[in-house]
Amino acid sequence: MKHKIDRNEIVAAVRRVPLISTSASRLLQIANHNGHSLADIVTIVKCDAALTIHILKVVNSAALSRGREIHSLDRAIAIMGEEMVMGIAMSDAAEQLFQADLDGYAANRGDLWRHDLRTAIAAKRIAPFAKVKVNHDLAFTSGLLHDLGKAIISDFLKGTTEEIVTAIEAGQFEDYPAAEREELGVDHCDIGFELATYWGLPEPLLSVIRHHHHPLAAAEPYRPLVYVVHLGDIVAMMTGSGTGADAMRCNIDPAYGDYVNLAKDDLARIIFEAETEFTALISSLSGEGEQKP
Amino acid sequence: MNNIKLVGVGGLAASRTPGESIKTFALGSCVAVIMLHPPTRTVGMVHVALPDSAVARGNVGDRPGYFADTGIPVLLKEMAALGCSSPGNKGMIVKLAGGAKVMDPNNVFNVGKRNILAIRKILWSLGMGPVAEDVEGSISRTVTVAVDTGQVTIASPGKKDWQI
Repeated sequence: MKHKIDRNEIVAAVRRVPLISTSASRLLQIANHNGHSLADIVTIVKCDAALTIHILKVVNSAALSRGREIHSLDRAIAIMGEEMVMGIAMSDAAEQLFQADLDGYAANRGDLWRHDLRTAIAAKRIAPFAKVKVNHDLAFTSGLLHDLGKAIISDFLKGTTEEIVTAIEAGQFEDYPAAEREELGVDHCDIGFELATYWGLPEPLLSVIRHHHHPLAAAEPYRPLVYVVHLGDIVAMMTGSGTGADAMRCNIDPAYGDYVNLAKDDLARIIFEAETEFTALISSLSGEGEQKP
Repeated sequence: MNNIKLVGVGGLAASRTPGESIKTFALGSCVAVIMLHPPTRTVGMVHVALPDSAVARGNVGDRPGYFADTGIPVLLKEMAALGCSSPGNKGMIVKLAGGAKVMDPNNVFNVGKRNILAIRKILWSLGMGPVAEDVEGSISRTVTVAVDTGQVTIASPGKKDWQI
């Protein structure tokens, strides 16, 4: 069938996205390795003046400083922890994408950032329940980046929301990504993978971005991580941080039980604790409250 | 412009101020419990995320509305503080929205369904029952209730607004 948009046009849009900074790229590389220390992170951040300034600004915000002024980067990173540093680094590196309007999903500016942050927190908290050890820092970072393809294909989906929602409700598509493929020939996972490859991201991140809606398709070594982020994505949508029209219109892969051993009470605890962490983190990172305008 | 009280996840609010509305965004598996008291023209809403506060180990903090078992009694207290208490909660109208479904054969992620069941059970124990529900389905809902009319409006991206 002929799709309404030529795939090459979308891929060309990927090539127009600026490359991520060297420091963000190096942080992603070390997140991929177990055994790195906060000192490794400090070493990378020190080489990036803009990132250093942003980190010091956040650590001296009312939410974190408790009245003390902090000038040392080492101290700032020790107070914040790796997740917050990674959150700042990624939000700086891909700000234009995280803050995209997402008109094609009838979502609001900032929804993608909130969704990705909540997915990251949930994925990190689900990681200890994986049957094979999953690096929780990597789960967090993967959650942050899993949906960046939406920022690019949103422009190409403009005006389709009502038609797609009607078709899904009529049972024509199994989920929202399937409708994206029908409209464009690609879905946000394919285009996120194009972007991540263009940026030279590590293999586990590529796998998460490409397969987070169908984790069983991921290569076996990365599958536990992909399942963890897949479930984090579902938790984010369940708890009100979706990205507009596709929220709750995605299916859970029932085979997750082969990779993640999660009971009802575990999930409830993860949801509740992630809520507190999400509210604190989003407030510290951007000074905004939990609710939309 | 009418004033809107925003209710976040686990939040709650009540109002009898003319022209005011209460609104909560993007309910996934969470459920908005909406209470209307026509004699005093008072409305209230709690955004319930989980069925049972046991998971918080006695520390719900500033979010009693997060759980069905703690949120509904606190909302009733808020309503009573505005003057609409009556024996057996007589005259209180309750409506539910949200509780979207995750099809999970392992029965772990079906939080929406568990929320709805817990809320109904608590309401019944308090002598109340929902007169209208817009629940389940694979859909995100934004819900608004207006003090002036008591009208409950639901919005979802890609769909026209509707009322319950």
